[in-house]
Amino acid sequence: MTCAWAESRKRRRITIPEILKDEWFKKDYKPPHFEKDDDVNLDDIDAIFNGSDDHLVTESKEKPASVNAFELISRSKSFNLENLFEKQALVKKETQFTSRSPANEIISKIEETARPLGFSVQKKNYKMKLQGDRTGRKGQLAVATEVFEVAPSLHLVELRKTGGDTLEFHKAHSSLNFSNNLDILRNLNSHLLIGP
Amino acid sequence: MGCLHSTATKQFPGHEDPVALASQTAFSVSEVEALFELFKNISSSVIDDGLISKEEFQLALFKNRKKENLFANRIFDLFDVKQKGVIDFGDFVRALNVFHPNAPQEEKIDFSFRLYDMDGTGFIERQEVKQMLIALLGESQMKLADETVEIILDKTFLEADLNQDGKIDKSEWHNFVDRNPSLLRIMTLSYLRDITTAFPSFVFHSEVDEVATQL
Repeated sequence: MTCAWAESRKRRRITIPEILKDEWFKKDYKPPHFEKDDDVNLDDIDAIFNGSDDHLVTESKEKPASVNAFELISRSKSFNLENLFEKQALVKKETQFTSRSPANEIISKIEETARPLGFSVQKKNYKMKLQGDRTGRKGQLAVATEVFEVAPSLHLVELRKTGGDTLEFHKAHSSLNFSNNLDILRNLNSHLLIGP
Repeated sequence: MGCLHSTATKQFPGHEDPVALASQTAFSVSEVEALFELFKNISSSVIDDGLISKEEFQLALFKNRKKENLFANRIFDLFDVKQKGVIDFGDFVRALNVFHPNAPQEEKIDFSFRLYDMDGTGFIERQEVKQMLIALLGESQMKLADETVEIILDKTFLEADLNQDGKIDKSEWHNFVDRNPSLLRIMTLSYLRDITTAFPSFVFHSEVDEVATQL
């Protein structure tokens, strides 16, 4: 392991993900604890009380929540009056894009993309919580995702940073956007200028 | 104490006494003074006349003075209470007050209603919502078929327009916002709670004895 660290050629130096996998490192190592998702617990409780198996297949039956015209309108970046207080445009903590794919396909695609990036995924209906496995500048990156229905066969996907560093969030969501093959129409909030 | 006030009135038409403004709003005197620092920055960015012009507002909001935007225009118009085409300091503070986390819900609901009631008829008409939706789509460079836009409008009006007269009145808006509280997200700026830490230079300019004003 020490040789791997001392490797002067940056390309061959051991990376943090590799360290985390290394047997020597794993000895006595306690990985950070992720909070249990309360939503998932409630589902289990509901299933017990109702005594039915319906809840087990709730996810695939329900439709995503729908957004109305005002919810779309209020997402205009011109309502970001916080910009008045900043000398440079703020790095936004949320981003959206649209897709014509079916909602459950969107959820699967995000999950498929997020896992290899090191995120753990928790889902309930059309909401997902992604938790990064690496500790970044401000703790672990956490992203909440929700899929909404805008119109028949048109969905809005919202990604919101709920923990961690905003710049890391932007790097992560760019990967989530481009590395999947969804028919993404356009990113709704395209001003992602870096703040101070 | 008189010095600060009279100099300010000379350079800043419409400048009001921070103590008076604090008593009318959710801001403390120090917060009003901090807002004054912000106001000075914005109002001097194009023409140093102590007033915020549309261009200066656009510059502050978009970092681009030429950027015209339907929604920014609406917000500007609502700040420009006296309809003079410029925002003075009193207007600025009173308008921002509505966005304060502690401002009453009523005021936020009222402001948002007037924001969307573009022609000021007292009703949010379907045509106005369509115009705003199209503006939003243009801004995001998202193309939707006219049919899809109509579907979105149908769905919205089904939910909001309770008496189905094709327009949303004040009370229907109130009702709609109660059921969809996320619509008021834009009406609160948590920044306003920490305004004094964002603009600390006021500390050196203040001549107002804050203790004396807390009666």
